[in-house]
Amino acid sequence: MNWNAWLPLLMVASSLLPGLVIFGLGEQRFRLRTALNLSGALAKLALVGWMLWGVYHGQHFETRLPLLPDLDLVLRAGPLSLLFVTLSAGLWLLTTIYAIGYLEGSPHRSRFFGFFSLCVTATVGVAMSGNLITFLLFYELLTLATYPLIVHRGTEEARRAGQSYLVYTLCGGAALLLGTVWLYTLTGTLEFTPRGFIHAVGEEHHLALVVIFILMIGGLGVKAALVPLHGWLPKAMVAPAPVSALLHAVAVVKAGAFGIIRVVYEVFGVERAAMLGLTGPLAVVAAVTIIYGSVRALFQDDLKRRLAFSTISQVSYIALGVAIAGPIATIGGVVHLVHQGLMKITLFFCAGNLAETLGIHKISEMNGVGRRMPWTMAAFTVGALGMIGAPPIAGFISKWYLGLGALEVGQGWVLLVLAGSSLLNAAYFLPILYRAWFRAPADAWPHEHDFGDKETAWALLLPPVITALLALGAGLLAAAPFSPLEWAQLISQREFYQP
Amino acid sequence: MSNSINALSLWLVVVWPLLLVIPALHSRLPSPRHLAILPAALLAVMPGDASHVLPWLMFGTGLSIEGDSRWILLMAVTVWLAAATVCNKQLAQNRSTVLFLLTLTGNLGVILAADLVGFFVFAALMGYGFYGLLVQGSDVAVRRAARLYLIFLIIADLALFEALLLAAFATKELQFAAVQQAVTETPLYLWLVFAGFVLKAGIWPFHLWLTAAFKSASQSALLLLGGAPVAMALLGMERWLPLGDTAVYAMGTVAQVVGVAALLYATLRFFTHMQMKTLPAWGLVATSGIFVAFIGTGLTYPAVWQQYEYLAYPLIAALGLLPTLVVIIARLEGRHQTTDVQLVDVSISWAAGWGRLIQQWLTKSLAGVQALAGFFETKALELPQYLHQWQTLLDDAERRLRRWTVAITLLSLLALAVALLAIG
Repeated sequence: MNWNAWLPLLMVASSLLPGLVIFGLGEQRFRLRTALNLSGALAKLALVGWMLWGVYHGQHFETRLPLLPDLDLVLRAGPLSLLFVTLSAGLWLLTTIYAIGYLEGSPHRSRFFGFFSLCVTATVGVAMSGNLITFLLFYELLTLATYPLIVHRGTEEARRAGQSYLVYTLCGGAALLLGTVWLYTLTGTLEFTPRGFIHAVGEEHHLALVVIFILMIGGLGVKAALVPLHGWLPKAMVAPAPVSALLHAVAVVKAGAFGIIRVVYEVFGVERAAMLGLTGPLAVVAAVTIIYGSVRALFQDDLKRRLAFSTISQVSYIALGVAIAGPIATIGGVVHLVHQGLMKITLFFCAGNLAETLGIHKISEMNGVGRRMPWTMAAFTVGALGMIGAPPIAGFISKWYLGLGALEVGQGWVLLVLAGSSLLNAAYFLPILYRAWFRAPADAWPHEHDFGDKETAWALLLPPVITALLALGAGLLAAAPFSPLEWAQLISQREFYQP
Repeated sequence: MSNSINALSLWLVVVWPLLLVIPALHSRLPSPRHLAILPAALLAVMPGDASHVLPWLMFGTGLSIEGDSRWILLMAVTVWLAAATVCNKQLAQNRSTVLFLLTLTGNLGVILAADLVGFFVFAALMGYGFYGLLVQGSDVAVRRAARLYLIFLIIADLALFEALLLAAFATKELQFAAVQQAVTETPLYLWLVFAGFVLKAGIWPFHLWLTAAFKSASQSALLLLGGAPVAMALLGMERWLPLGDTAVYAMGTVAQVVGVAALLYATLRFFTHMQMKTLPAWGLVATSGIFVAFIGTGLTYPAVWQQYEYLAYPLIAALGLLPTLVVIIARLEGRHQTTDVQLVDVSISWAAGWGRLIQQWLTKSLAGVQALAGFFETKALELPQYLHQWQTLLDDAERRLRRWTVAITLLSLLALAVALLAIG
């Protein structure tokens, strides 16, 4: 086994090992816990940098361990998996810093950070899985690792949200498992392959393939919050802000969306999926979700709830890009995996800052908050404008490629969906910005914490400012080397449309 | 100019004001708003054409300046300098300075943009920044105007974004010339561009925010109204549409009709709602109507456009300067607080004054011819009464006009169309 064969495993272990150690730490071991958290996150980032360089230059990274007869546990670093791993690793570091500030002085921090690390371990496993069985294992581990984070506050509302999450995602997991086993009986393999691995399955299994596709996309659609499987996500916003950030931008919904990309491109193959008549209905479901999520977001006064419905809408851009089934739309969908993550995590960090610093939870309480917390609201503004698709922020690039991709394959109706969604995004984000920047502030904030002459704690302020700058940079420097867009183009060239 | 000086002089125009947006920087500099305009002012007077593309920026965006756009840049520099000077106190707040600098960056970027994407990006920055400048006052009317502006801006940006996608689909190159050649066979692109810029410029019948803003917005916003959103939208029409190449009859005709309607409507409103603060607004609506009619003619008759193309940029520049001049003159005269122009009273005193003058003149010069003098004297004395009757009649007519402006505009348009058809 050469060095490159160990790296994917090391990548998973870099968060798993610190996580396991943290579980055993006492509450008072603040410094050691912080050191373990940060060293794990930094080690993962260093490994990501190494592998990015290697993959860009054609190196192959794969760990293969025997799991079952004829089935291995495979971890592989290709361009697509590294895109997701980079996002997770980068945002994990920032979310860890944020969580350290956010949970300062609160109970059960070791439990929280232990599961937090497990959650990232599972996400990286999902990203790097080289076959469906590995994917399924880490996918379920993600479900179980996230549940304690959702119920972390221990309130009745949190418990109910956790229960709902568990019911939805375990049912989704069961559907995915059923589809996987059925597919294995037809193909004899579960190895992710560019252009899919179901070529050998004959036309006589047409109906079986359609049902398997529905089972798999249905299973993944739960985490990706496709309508009508989205019900758990708005409820889960009762979790602490770092968990919400993790759920919405890094781990859970992204794992679902990433799974959809894998199933369409590397299980079925996009051409075969289109021939089976499956991409069209998927595009329609994604379009309905985009509009439905935006419409529901319009009527929410609770800030995190509005952001949750916004996630439902925005994540479906990824599914839409995949379902449009063209190389340019693929770029749009894949790059949105990163762009949405950067923008949405910024918004959730900011929502957390408002709650922690001023006790603001509702949009109606946000009048004039821009004067009190200018950096937080500047970051929020970048995130919100990016979600609308305002140039030059990252969201504009995603919408550009989705629209262009739709035109390329003659699906002009997608432009209407994009326009309608942008209009709705503007309708639910701009009033927030107006309130924050142009309304007179209230006489007193709901529950103000004293941070001296600072806006808020630096650990809370730094992450959203950095992610907002990253969202701006991802749009502004879209054509630069190693940008998410360039990486998405590499994925499109290497994985999906090579003969 | 060498390449590096080219690049530096062009990018500094937009990067420098953007850098000054950082509060820690602009709060430490004297007159940051004036300083922000300095690179643009220098570029405007520097001789020679220049262009530079940054391949890593967005999709490979560039800036350029040539003879024609230099006039627009000069106009923008004048307008922004005027705004920075006249409204120095109003803009002293940190938030106002940030919005001022963002809008300035957007405006200068729009003028220098070498391609559609750059134009779109800078126009969006300018639009949202200008919304901030507009909405700053706590006045309800201002907020209403700003809300309308924002709604039109968002819809316009959506239309232009879709047009951009169509252009990118039609041609890989997004420079203005390449797009103009490629999109003549894409009517949807033309309609989206036209609709987008009509909304952005506040052309009739989407002028509501413009006139409302003139009534109650802050002076800094008023000074910039012509030069920033309106002039840049008209510049967009000129740059995005395929003018002087292939005849586009249907759209050209619509543009002509809209332009003439805007002119007629603004003229009628101008004479029926004479308020000092809205005079430049109606002037703007009328002038932009003329420009749209001009664009329509260019689309319908490419040869005409080729012949008179040189008029486009001076017209945009003049239009941009119009509100600035009016506001500055009003300020210099100390009359900017005046609301209603006292049309009726002024006319009567004018008539009475002239009546008395004529009466005196007649009495003195025609003293020897008593009968004749008596006749003139009587008539001269009755002149104010006659004039008053006419005035009452005109007032009544105007009151009716106020109620029926839209209908009369449409009727006039119809009459014009019939006349044109008859001539044709």
